[in-house]
Amino acid sequence: MLRNKLYFRKLLIAGTGLFLCLFLVVHLSANLILVLPEEVARGLYNSYSTTLRESPLIKIVAYALYLAIVLHVIYAIVITIHNRRAKPQKYVMNRSNENSSWASQNMGILGTLILIFIVIHLANFWARIKLGIGEEVGLDTDGHVDVYEVTYSLFQNIYYVIFYTVLAIPLAYHLHHGFKSAFKSLGFYHKKGLRIVAKVALVYALIMGIGFGVIPLIVYFK
Amino acid sequence: MQVTFKIWRQDSPSVKGALKAYKVQDLTEDMSFLEALDHLNEQLVVQGEKVIAYEYDCREGICGQCGVFINGRAHGPHDHMTTCQLHMRSFKDGDTIVVEPWRAASFPVIKDLIVDRSAFDRIIEAGAFVSSKTGTAPEANAIPVPKGMADKAMDAAACIGCGACVASCKNSSAALFTSAKINHLNSLPQGKAEQHQRVAEMTYQMEQEGFGSCTFTGACEVECPEGISILNIAEMNARITKSKVFG
Repeated sequence: MLRNKLYFRKLLIAGTGLFLCLFLVVHLSANLILVLPEEVARGLYNSYSTTLRESPLIKIVAYALYLAIVLHVIYAIVITIHNRRAKPQKYVMNRSNENSSWASQNMGILGTLILIFIVIHLANFWARIKLGIGEEVGLDTDGHVDVYEVTYSLFQNIYYVIFYTVLAIPLAYHLHHGFKSAFKSLGFYHKKGLRIVAKVALVYALIMGIGFGVIPLIVYFK
Repeated sequence: MQVTFKIWRQDSPSVKGALKAYKVQDLTEDMSFLEALDHLNEQLVVQGEKVIAYEYDCREGICGQCGVFINGRAHGPHDHMTTCQLHMRSFKDGDTIVVEPWRAASFPVIKDLIVDRSAFDRIIEAGAFVSSKTGTAPEANAIPVPKGMADKAMDAAACIGCGACVASCKNSSAALFTSAKINHLNSLPQGKAEQHQRVAEMTYQMEQEGFGSCTFTGACEVECPEGISILNIAEMNARITKSKVFG
């Protein structure tokens, strides 16, 4: 492990990043339930979330997820500190926009915004539902914990709606660059394959950004 | 034509440098950028000032000595070009042109626009060679090399070690340079025997020199005068994995 620390750090960032990308697909699919009419959505959403909470397999996946987020963040910080030291003096004039995308130059800022989002998002849902912090969550008519109500009431607050929608933008940019780069960090160098990866990354980032950004608006105007 | 150069002046590695403005007249559009700097230096000699130190050698785009940061880009405003191939016609009359040395912890400034790129030499020394007995040149066709493989190796070998990749990378990563050198030799049958050792030694030296991590911004391949593809870095990563498994 001592040798090739640059390589191992990037493997870790790429590996955890792709795992989180996969998680987002599952997360967005579940969120789509929220778009359905209320009478269908409430029952479906609550029974789905109850199934997740009670599944031992999901428990393992959840811990893997926490670990992935923590490792992704820690190693991003480690890499950023190392990279800053490698370039102690900045250029007086730097037109990096002419040779690279803005997102690729600012993954740290984008990532920080996403981390802030995750903290608030966890406080809104995870802390209330799993840790029981704050207002108690009621049960629906089927006896399931009424997660739908938590979501619905949160998105009646326009400030939260704006926050969730706006923060989907940095998410999309971060995913677009991250998804593409992860493959290269992991050593995938097939030229045509990477072209396909780049296209998939764009479509994926758009679906994630628009999906996560629009659903709070739909819930608000429901 | 007339331009104002804002040039980084720094007497030695230990002192602080700063940009200094110079108005230069009587330039023509046909002059190369280096000729314009020569023109300025001639003026400075007449005025009894210290001339601007900058590096150059071949002035035909193949030696990689003349790297400087011009108006926020490595080697000036064009993609895939060395400074000596840049001409004053790329600027407008009356322009202000900011000229800075490469910025990287591993490329310390020696004087004005000259930086110490010997970190690259040490990466080369670590493994960018093929061990063989010296003697008469071997028969050229003794080892068959398929055309595709030869082309790929040649594309990587085209790296002139100018340092634009490190200079334009926000992380000062030397991944493009190192990967080009590794892939050049590891693609060829002559280099295969020492492939794992080469990858291990060269990437280790790259780390020891204090270069940053590659985050695939793609700036390096745009600024590279030889257009060396960033795919080389992905391939190097695959080769590191391979050397860890089989090496």
